[in-house]
Amino acid sequence: MTAVNHTYARVYDASVSPGPIALLREGIDDVRSHIPLIRYLAQAEVKKKGANTLLGNVWWVMDPLLQMAVYVMFIEIIRSRSTPDFPLFVLAAILPWKWFTASVQDSTSSVVTQERLIRQIAFPKIVLPIAWVSSGVVDFAFGLIPLAVIMLFFPDRITAYPVLIPVIAVVQYVFTLALGLVVAAGNVFFRDLGNVVRHALRLWWFLSPGLYSISQFEDTPFFKEHHLLLELALLNPFVTLFNAYRSVIYGSVEAGGTNLPPHMPDWVALGSLFVVSVVLIAVATIVFKRLEPSFAKVL
Amino acid sequence: MSAAEAEADWPEGISLAGAEHAIRTRDVGVQYALRFTRKKTIRQSFADVVTRRREERFWALRHVSLEIVHGESLGVIGPNGAGKSTLLQVLAGILHPSEGVVDVRGQISGLLTLGAGFDQELTGRENILLAGAFLGLDSVVVSEILPSIIEFADLGDFIDAPIKVYSSGMRARLGFSIATSVDPDILLLDEVLATGDAIFREKSKARVIELVRAAKAVVLVTHDMNWVTEYCNRAILIEHGRIEIEGEPEEVVELHRQHTAEEKARKLAALRASDHDALVARRRERRARKGRT
Repeated sequence: MTAVNHTYARVYDASVSPGPIALLREGIDDVRSHIPLIRYLAQAEVKKKGANTLLGNVWWVMDPLLQMAVYVMFIEIIRSRSTPDFPLFVLAAILPWKWFTASVQDSTSSVVTQERLIRQIAFPKIVLPIAWVSSGVVDFAFGLIPLAVIMLFFPDRITAYPVLIPVIAVVQYVFTLALGLVVAAGNVFFRDLGNVVRHALRLWWFLSPGLYSISQFEDTPFFKEHHLLLELALLNPFVTLFNAYRSVIYGSVEAGGTNLPPHMPDWVALGSLFVVSVVLIAVATIVFKRLEPSFAKVL
Repeated sequence: MSAAEAEADWPEGISLAGAEHAIRTRDVGVQYALRFTRKKTIRQSFADVVTRRREERFWALRHVSLEIVHGESLGVIGPNGAGKSTLLQVLAGILHPSEGVVDVRGQISGLLTLGAGFDQELTGRENILLAGAFLGLDSVVVSEILPSIIEFADLGDFIDAPIKVYSSGMRARLGFSIATSVDPDILLLDEVLATGDAIFREKSKARVIELVRAAKAVVLVTHDMNWVTEYCNRAILIEHGRIEIEGEPEEVVELHRQHTAEEKARKLAALRASDHDALVARRRERRARKGRT
């Protein structure tokens, strides 16, 4: 008789259902023991994205630039609201936003598109949204190339602060992943969740200070009257994230129109968002692990 | 729960003396709630809540108690939709049972419906690496067994072409080759002996026999009765989600033949009856139409 590797022993008792802490621990173990799989899936995804299109990876550079051009034309020329150095101002928000939307949309379908595999091999499904969100990091990194190019046109704003971009990106990554886990699991049960997500994201973009600065937001007559709504609007994580990115890339537009060169981000706001995101990701992991056993049945 | 705890927890009586079990299940049942197991949209679910549609449930598998020791080859037979594949999915850990206990000792390999789950855009070689990663294998181990997998699958230059250009036979060959090359302790195979051409069928038979000889446990779902009587040392017949009989392959296959023949006769009789009913209905309709005009 051959030696049987007991590390593979697996006992499943249907009468025992694990509590939230056990689920969380399981989720962490799943991820830790499948790092190579996550890396492999993310790499394969990046490779496929590049291989399927005519211009390949050039799109990663072109896309944000074209989007920037649209907004510059719309805001600067047609509405003639002038924020100084507007292209850089808006690009600082477009890049992280593109990363965020692509990651959330990809993870929505991440579990559902692997339905055949899920019915064939037992593996922790949590690796799927993680791999897809992680592959988005490459998109974001490529987006920094057009950013560097655009910065050359605004030599006054070139500083060393953009080296802090990765720090802000970590906070965004954790927040994105928390959301990605929930929508990935939800989409298994409700297949039209993708549509809801798409529209919610579009609305979210316009509610976030992407095309305008938060001080312009505060100056509007509407929010001057409804102070509570303003407080609510400021809870949007992308207020903190866009502000942080903009601080290090562009600077900021303060109330009254004074324009500051690049400076340190608001560490307190960023730190609080990080803590909140970590809590969210723990909750999302528990939700995902709770729903995971039903995936193979529903798919 | 650790393996030792599980051992202590297990009721005495169904253990085979001497041999260590590879798989043991006790009173396993898998229940599907139809409400959630159909692909749904939010609108439909909302409609269901409003109209208070009753939740339907059914047992795909129930009261399944099994024990398989290392070195055994268990044949699983039964009509379509009886729960054979569900059983394999439970053993593989893909489905969690709704009741009962499953205890599996050893590494399991089983690409249950071979070749269907590969990534279409990646090449054969990349898919082997991907499958290895999904099975939780170390990348060093995978690169070691890579040449033998490629050789056994016998795909020639296609190994570096995307899977989407493969024929279904080629996919099945690659899948079988991966599933059996990872040196599993327990091998689960679902309808794999019917795939591929005659030469590959011979090769895959030889491979399974080799694995059984090497004291691995094999659970095989098949419609090939000759294979069951020839190469399995035990068999079970599953009907309507329950184990109808467990025992010597000849015995089990014989019962399955009987049941199939009875079922066929019943269906034929029902068909004739419904033909008769249809004829009567048509006549009545014709008469009614005549009456109107």
